[in-house]
Amino acid sequence: MSTHPAAEVGATARAPRRRLRTRLGGREGLAGWTIVFILIAVAILAPVLAPHSPEAIDGNRILAAPTATHPFGSDDLGRDVLSRVLYAYRVSLGIAVGSVLLAMAVGLPIGVFAGYVGGWTDLVLMRLIDLLLSFPALLLAISLIAILGPGSLVALLAIAIIYIPIMARVVRSSVLVVRGQAYVRGARARGASHLSIVRGHVLPNAIGPALVQASVLMAFAIVIEAALSFLGLGSQPPTPELGLMLADGNNYLTQAPWVEIFPGLGIAISVLAFNLIGDGLRRSFDPNGITR
Amino acid sequence: MNARLSYALRRLILTAPVLIATSIFVFLLIRLVPGDPVRSMLGIRATPENIATVRSELGLDHPLPQQYWDWIWGVLHGNLGHDFISHEKITSLLKVSLPVTLELTVLAMLLAVGVGVPVGVLVAARTGWTRKVSGGFVIGAISIPDFWLGLMLVLVFTGLLNVLPPSGWVPFTQNPVQNLRYMILPVVTLATGQTAYILRTTRAAMLGTLSEPYIAFLRAKGLRERSIVYVHALRNASGPIITVTGIQFGVLLGGAIVIENLFALPGVGRLIVTAISERNYVVVQAGVLTVACLFIVVNLLTDIVHGLLDPRVEEAVSS
Amino acid sequence: MTALVELRDVSVDYAGHGGSVSAVQNVSLTLGENETFGLVGESGCGKTTLSMALMGLLPSSARVTGQLLFRGQDLLAMSEAERRQQRGDELSMVFQDPATSLDPTFGIGYQVAETVRAHRRVSRGESKARALALLREVGIPAAESRYADPPHRLSGGMRQRVVIAAALANDPSLLLADEPTTALDVTIQAQVLDLLAELQRKHGTTILLIAHDLGVVAQICDRVGVMYAGQLVEVAPVVELFAAPRHPYTRALLEALPSRGRRGRSLRVIGGQVPDLSDPPSGCRFADRCPHRMDVCATVPPLVDSDSRRRIACWLDPATRATAGLPPLPAAPTPDAPIAVGPS
Repeated sequence: MSTHPAAEVGATARAPRRRLRTRLGGREGLAGWTIVFILIAVAILAPVLAPHSPEAIDGNRILAAPTATHPFGSDDLGRDVLSRVLYAYRVSLGIAVGSVLLAMAVGLPIGVFAGYVGGWTDLVLMRLIDLLLSFPALLLAISLIAILGPGSLVALLAIAIIYIPIMARVVRSSVLVVRGQAYVRGARARGASHLSIVRGHVLPNAIGPALVQASVLMAFAIVIEAALSFLGLGSQPPTPELGLMLADGNNYLTQAPWVEIFPGLGIAISVLAFNLIGDGLRRSFDPNGITR
Repeated sequence: MNARLSYALRRLILTAPVLIATSIFVFLLIRLVPGDPVRSMLGIRATPENIATVRSELGLDHPLPQQYWDWIWGVLHGNLGHDFISHEKITSLLKVSLPVTLELTVLAMLLAVGVGVPVGVLVAARTGWTRKVSGGFVIGAISIPDFWLGLMLVLVFTGLLNVLPPSGWVPFTQNPVQNLRYMILPVVTLATGQTAYILRTTRAAMLGTLSEPYIAFLRAKGLRERSIVYVHALRNASGPIITVTGIQFGVLLGGAIVIENLFALPGVGRLIVTAISERNYVVVQAGVLTVACLFIVVNLLTDIVHGLLDPRVEEAVSS
Repeated sequence: MTALVELRDVSVDYAGHGGSVSAVQNVSLTLGENETFGLVGESGCGKTTLSMALMGLLPSSARVTGQLLFRGQDLLAMSEAERRQQRGDELSMVFQDPATSLDPTFGIGYQVAETVRAHRRVSRGESKARALALLREVGIPAAESRYADPPHRLSGGMRQRVVIAAALANDPSLLLADEPTTALDVTIQAQVLDLLAELQRKHGTTILLIAHDLGVVAQICDRVGVMYAGQLVEVAPVVELFAAPRHPYTRALLEALPSRGRRGRSLRVIGGQVPDLSDPPSGCRFADRCPHRMDVCATVPPLVDSDSRRRIACWLDPATRATAGLPPLPAAPTPDAPIAVGPS
């Protein structure tokens, strides 16, 4: 565990910049972070950056090819694809971040609790979690949508629910490792309270693998959300959303491929960025492979 | 051999609670729909008589435990009820769609394992550009959403080259060649990401195994490098490979839902999605149950195969 | 004594990040037929590297120079395919830890039988029969019923017996045993050593036993070679080495050994540290820790015949001095106390 306080002291102070880079996940991770920050900026600044309104329908530009003013071309209603892609990142990133945060907010305490308390509590909680994991993730999400009806918020909730057991498991595994360490036993022997041990030792050490997992899950969340919308089970029209745009353009694939190529690239780049961060962080945070 | 048989049996028994929990969840699916599921299911056809018929067929007037009991009893006897829209028996709907999903997923998995494992083994022993290329493929294939990859493949193989049909399906029994032609793009689409995962796992597992001391002893015994790598190292590395393949099968089943819709394959995934948009909860329920059971069976099989290949697993379960 | 193995000026260097590491330097050594030769030294002194060089199993970063002759044929001149055919057949090796030497996923019998099949054109049935006979010979009880057992069902000692059976499957002329008892309980150690000695007598195998424990060497070896930091410093029949060690390092090694004759006296510890092999001293590598250090020690002392049965590489020794035209020292230092011979 690189976040162990002793490792901190031992780490060389002469290369703080290099250390920061390692913490962010090396060269790969850095590339990922850069893309993510750009995409977040794009999502926030979409109204400023977008050359056109994402919903402006232009009868003269139906399925029109890319031009200088419309670099990504126009869709079947003559809407500017570039502007829609820029706006779509608000939905994609919003749902990805929201679902992962929600899953962490619920899964982290469950994992810490199960791992730290152990015994029967752990056994029962883990059996329940195994049950949830014995369901294919996308099927679980789709079942939840079948019950609650389609929509962006439902998609967020559904993704969060399939992530909770994954998060809880990862956190529990790392808590189990930390719990057995001498410094935790030492703290207990000194009479430190459970709460302060969890806050001071267990959480800081369990957070690393949880963050690695979070970045990988973030990548999946973007794909799942786009897939759900593509199936008509996620965001609903006329929301500018990447999966929805792909579903719309599906009928004009050969006629106007730009309607399909650019939103898809948009998804792939954001997924790649989170995967790069995940791979990089895994290398620096979790050499033991708690996260798979 | 006896120890292995009892391991398989124990693993089989462990599946029972999972099956029961799954069935309860799937059973509750309809009952959890906010409002009156029957009314929203029937839509404009919700005449008082129709509502009454459906309510009684689903047994919604009974207490929940009895409803569950009646339903599961029917399921165990191959009776999944009726589709209230097409009036067909749900089992006959599944009889058509399940083989499609099975063909798609099994072919995709075979392709992914058939490419991912050998390439992973080959790459494990190498450094330099081979590693870079395979690493690039892995992160790329994992990052590209499968349904978009499918669209791009259609764009190339149908739009540009015009060598493969964009979508559609005929039964294998009716026209095997045409059936496989329809299957190529969906299978490749679904298999690409899986290949990447299996390649990555194989490479990592082989790297770990090849540095074990027993590999050095095999060399000291004068075995051929080929049998060291493919007989001994691969068998020892098979644990993680099989585990990941099993987990990935779940992802594959989820992916099949999207891919079937993209390529208009009449599989269970398409059945489920169509049924959801029609609020046809009985069909959704049956489809979800089928896919979930399929996944449970695959998990069971992977664990048993893992146990057969690695004698340490049975010990780990019994202790 | 006819030579089975002859090493001439063998050096092994590992290419590393910042330069190379000299793991073995100019070792010359002859092993006779039917001999049990012990090679001792601290860990990292190059004894394992030397045995891996003999097996042809060094990593690609290692560079071997000199001549490794086996029955007069230079192993370094052979192709990898020829060397593979030799491994497990003419040359065999037993590793230190039986817990990790066997493939955990295959039955123990299979792992013996496959060694036979790798070198002989035999049917599965024949190789199985041979494997069973070998398992019985190394003392696996109920070999027939244990044939298919995976390694983890066996105790450490039993596993090492299986490893020995696999190594001896094709009746090798040379068996390299790298610390074969280090990972075992003390009581089991003696049994495994007895087994090795018995098999040696029966089959006339030459054994090169690598050990850091002089007691183990004393139990079964005929001759001993002492290595220090990649250099072979002394070779002598085991009894004579224990009775009268001549190299200061050998002496220090023996003084660090508890024994009956020295009961009640504190054990000596060798002062100083093993030199850094990525930047080794140019002369005798023991010089820095040697109580008799002289100016001439800055030159590597050649390993020469001290008398008809002993060889030594030390500038204190008259034979070594003669090679450089130096006169014998007036009074050669002798061991400060007689040392008991034999296992402690």
